[in-house]
Amino acid sequence: MMSAVMEQRPSAMQRATEGDADSFAMLIDPLLNPAYRLAAVMLSDRMAAEDAVQEASVKAWRNLRQLRGDESSLRAWFLSIVANECRMTRRRRWWSVVKSAEVESERRSDAPSQEAVTDLRRAVARLSLDERLPLVLYFYLDLPLDEVARTLRVSPSAAKSRIYRAARRLRSDLTLEEVS
Amino acid sequence: MSQNFRRDLNREFDAISGTPSPALSARVRSALEQGRPARTGPFWMAGLAAGLIAAIVVSVLVVSNLGRHTAIGPSLIPSPSPSPSAAATATPGATPSPSPAQTPPDSTLPAFVCAGPVSLAGTHTPAVAFVDAVRTGTHPGYDRVTIEFNNGEPANVDMSPHAGTTFTQGASGQQVTLQGSTGLLVIIHGADEHTAYSGSTDIKPGYSVLVELRQVEDFEGTVQWGLGLSKTACYREFFLTNPARLVIDIQNS
Repeated sequence: MMSAVMEQRPSAMQRATEGDADSFAMLIDPLLNPAYRLAAVMLSDRMAAEDAVQEASVKAWRNLRQLRGDESSLRAWFLSIVANECRMTRRRRWWSVVKSAEVESERRSDAPSQEAVTDLRRAVARLSLDERLPLVLYFYLDLPLDEVARTLRVSPSAAKSRIYRAARRLRSDLTLEEVS
Repeated sequence: MSQNFRRDLNREFDAISGTPSPALSARVRSALEQGRPARTGPFWMAGLAAGLIAAIVVSVLVVSNLGRHTAIGPSLIPSPSPSPSAAATATPGATPSPSPAQTPPDSTLPAFVCAGPVSLAGTHTPAVAFVDAVRTGTHPGYDRVTIEFNNGEPANVDMSPHAGTTFTQGASGQQVTLQGSTGLLVIIHGADEHTAYSGSTDIKPGYSVLVELRQVEDFEGTVQWGLGLSKTACYREFFLTNPARLVIDIQNS
């Protein structure tokens, strides 16, 4: 069963490269959720995030030939396009109003105190787009460091530094060793 | 890394992002259909030749239209925030709505109407507004069609419910049947869709209400689109500016 799936995937990639929409849609379908979560945190706007994912999907398909490597490289490549689309969205002049998504106020028994939540929320809100990106990739999407690096298009050590610097803005007593 | 830090941070990220709309996958699939890249393989040369011919035809049309139309639309510099430039008004004599018009979430937008024709007049109107993009999207509460113009708003836009989903194509008189059970007919006066538009003229987004839209006329300055809906729904239309866009919303809840 698994070998059958493994055999199908390269051909789906090939068909997508040749312009088959269904094949490409099938390939990126599992990536839409992480792509949306990345865009939503970067933009703090859920509808704009869906727009960005849609736009990035079309751009990815149009530029699929530029993808280096096989399907295993697709996630990092696609997420980097989503991140670029978010940057473009933020650059547009009409994006002058700071948008904030509705914040769910679910309280759980193991939730930290409201004060701590508020501090962290404020700190996250202060992060720039390029500071949020490595944190989302590493902590939220749980990507391995080398894939974070490929998404950011930097070396793994540079990716680690970026994660550390951004995380330090949220928690000042963080050590580099803790980002592993 | 402290697990508490990771957990707290992810909780914040969860609160910001929520979950994507269930229609996101269908929406992306539809966008891919509309934004289809050139197919490769043995057909690429034929595609290239067709593209060159299309470019020549478009160039000829642009040159001829430049001679005919001197009025140019407003600047395309984006405004600080998009805002409706005009709201649709019910045409006098229109059938009264069987249900009250519903207030949209954003009070700056016109209300949905549930029956009868609506009419919308452009404010920055070139002699002919050139459609250069047609997009669809689905959002909580409505499915949306956006028709973008590259030189200003068209003179007038009429929209009315259509019995069934069979539309008569302008010029040819041939009938086409769209997916869905009922329809809406959008008539854009003072526009053309062959000078600057090269996208699909038959789009099947497959949303919960808007299932298909198809160009049924592009002739002598009038563009018509037929919309196939899965059920009767309320609708509204308005313009957005910078760039000029006609927005058609169909309620999906």
